[in-house]
Amino acid sequence: MELKEPPMGINQFWIIFSKKYLTLFVVLNLVFAGGVVASLMMPDLSKTMTLTSVGVLLSISLITNILIFKKALRPLRDILMVLAHTNGERTVTNPPNPGASGYKKSGFGAVLQKLYELSSASSDAQDNKDKATSNNQDSFLSDALDTINCGIVIMDKDRKITYTNRATPVNIDTEGNKRLTLLFNDNDKLDDWLDTCSEHEVKAEHLWTRIPDKMPNEEGRRMFDVVASYNKDAQNETVLTLIDRTEAYEVDEEGLDFISFAAHELRGPITVIRGYLDVLEDELTDVLKEDQHELFRRLTVSANRLSGYINNILNTSRFDRRHLRVHLVEDSVASIYDMIKDDMQLRASSQNRVLNVSIPNDLPTIAADKASISEVFSNLIDNAIKYSNDGGVINVSATAKGDFVEVAIEDHGIGMPSGVVSNLFKKFYRSHRSREAVAGTGIGLYISKAIVESHGGGISVRSEDGKGSVFTISIPIYATVAEKLQASNNSNEGMIGEGKGWIKNHSMYRG
Amino acid sequence: MAFKSVLCIEDDRFIGEMYVRSLRKAGYEVDWVVDGNEGLVAARNKQYDVILLDIMLPERRGSEILQALRGKEDLIPNSRVIVLTNFEQDDESRIAMQSNADAYLIKAEITPKKLLAVIAQLDTPKG
Repeated sequence: MELKEPPMGINQFWIIFSKKYLTLFVVLNLVFAGGVVASLMMPDLSKTMTLTSVGVLLSISLITNILIFKKALRPLRDILMVLAHTNGERTVTNPPNPGASGYKKSGFGAVLQKLYELSSASSDAQDNKDKATSNNQDSFLSDALDTINCGIVIMDKDRKITYTNRATPVNIDTEGNKRLTLLFNDNDKLDDWLDTCSEHEVKAEHLWTRIPDKMPNEEGRRMFDVVASYNKDAQNETVLTLIDRTEAYEVDEEGLDFISFAAHELRGPITVIRGYLDVLEDELTDVLKEDQHELFRRLTVSANRLSGYINNILNTSRFDRRHLRVHLVEDSVASIYDMIKDDMQLRASSQNRVLNVSIPNDLPTIAADKASISEVFSNLIDNAIKYSNDGGVINVSATAKGDFVEVAIEDHGIGMPSGVVSNLFKKFYRSHRSREAVAGTGIGLYISKAIVESHGGGISVRSEDGKGSVFTISIPIYATVAEKLQASNNSNEGMIGEGKGWIKNHSMYRG
Repeated sequence: MAFKSVLCIEDDRFIGEMYVRSLRKAGYEVDWVVDGNEGLVAARNKQYDVILLDIMLPERRGSEILQALRGKEDLIPNSRVIVLTNFEQDDESRIAMQSNADAYLIKAEITPKKLLAVIAQLDTPKG
C-alpha cells in the first residue's frame, strides 16, 4: 500500500497506518482460517496429513503475525528511540532519521521531526531556567577553555558561530560574524560535510587531519586535527574541537621540505644529462655509428627513467602527507599519451620490446590531471617493459565503458601468481621474483593507484603466471563530472579548460 | 620567427650554458644573468620577447622577480615569461606564479629542443 503524494501530515499518518495494518491482519487471518477449514474438509486426506497441513498453516500464520506485529510496532520503537536519544541515553542503533525515504513516504518523518523539535525546544526552555544559576558556571567554563591549546567552536542550526575559545583561529567578516580561518582541502570541506549531515544524519562525527590555518611560509602557521560533532536540530548543532598538532606535523613538513630540496638537487644534473644527450645525438648524428646511436638511446632512456623515479618519490611523499592534489581538466587519452609517446617508444625499442598503441581519436574526453596521468601511463608501460621477455609485445588500448574511459596495458611477460596480485599496490611491495630479477623501488604501482583514485577512477589487474598481465585503469569521462568539477574548482578557475593556455609539463600542480 | 631576444635568468652554470647554446644556435639573441637582482634589472631595462626565469636564485627568488614584474601592473606586457624550475613548490606558491607566467616547466622534464618548441608555441601575437 504505497502512498503517492508525500509528504503527509501527522494526522494522516495514523489514519493510513492503522487502516493498512488492520486490513493486513484481517485479510491474512481470514486466509489462514480458510486454509485450515479447507484442509479439515478435504475428504481424501489421511488424518496425519490433515494434522500436518493444519500444523504447517498455523506455524506460517504465527510467523507472519509476529512479523506484522513487529512492523506495526516500529513507529512506537522509533518514538522511544528519539526520546532516549534526546534524553542523552545510549541507544544500540542510530537514532531514526526523519529524512529517510521510507519515513518521508509514510508521513512518519513529520512525526519524528516534530518530536526532535519539541524535545530540543523543551531542553532550551530548561536551559533558560537554569541560565541564572549557570551564568557563573559559564564564565568558569569559558575561562577554563581559554587556557587550553585546543580550539573549541560551537555553531548553531544556521551554522553561525556562537562560541569560540581563545585558541581558535578566527577572523571577523564584514557583517561582524566570526569566521574560521581553517584551510580545508577543496574536496573535503566542513561545509560540504554539514550539507550531507543535514540531509542524511541525525547524529554524526567526522575527523579531518592536517588542517592548517594559514598558507605555508606565513608567520605563526598552525596545523590542526579537527573533530566535528553534529547533532541535528540541537541548539548547538555542531561542535568542533581543533587539536593543535603543529609540533607533530612540523616534523613531517620539514621532511617534505627535505624531499623537495633533495629532488631539486637531483634534478639539476638530470636536466643537464638529458639536455645534452638530446643536443649531442642530434649534432653527432652523421658521425655516430649505429651501435653508438643505440648507446645514446640507452643513456636517454636511463636518464628519463631516473627523472620518472624522482617524480614518483615526490608524489608518494606528498600523497602520504595528504598533500597530493590533482587538478582535473578536460583532456583526451590520446593527447596525454602524446606527451610521453616518444619516451615510451624509445624505452621499448632500446630493450627490444614491441610497443603497440591503439588509442582511438573518437573516445570521449576525460577529466584528468595531465602530468599525473601521464606518469601513471609511463609507470605501467615501464613495468610492462620490465616484466616482458626479449622481443615481447606490449599492447596499449583504450575504450569507453559506461562513465569511464578504460586504458589497458597488456604484456605477455612473466605474469604473476594470484598471491602476488593482492599485494601489488602496497607501498614498497616487491615480489620475491622481481626482487631478484628486476630493479625497482616498489612505489610505482602504489602511487599510480593513488593518482588514479584521486581522479575518481580505479586500477585493476588480471594476470596469469607465466603468460603475462593486463593492467586496466579507468578514468571518469569529462561530461559525467564536468558540473561537479566546475562547482568545486572555483578556487582554481585558471586550471579549468586550459582557459589561460599555459603550457605545463610538470607533476607539480598539487601542494 | 618573430621572437628574437631572450633573457635567461639561471644560476646553474651548466644548465644556463646549455640553454644559451641551444637558443643561440637556433638564432635567438640571448642575454644570460645568474642572480635574481641582475635578472630583475635586466628585465626592466630592456624589452625581451622571452624571459626564462628560474625560481631558486641567489639574491632574489624567481617568485619575487615575477611579482615585481607582473604583480601590481604588467611592466612587461610584450614579453612572455617561462618559469623553469626543478624545485617542487607548494601548491599555493605555484598557482600564484602560474597565474603570472605564460608557461611553467620542470627543467628535468624538458630538453633544450623541447624548450625551443615551447618558445615557438608561444610565438603567436598576444591576446
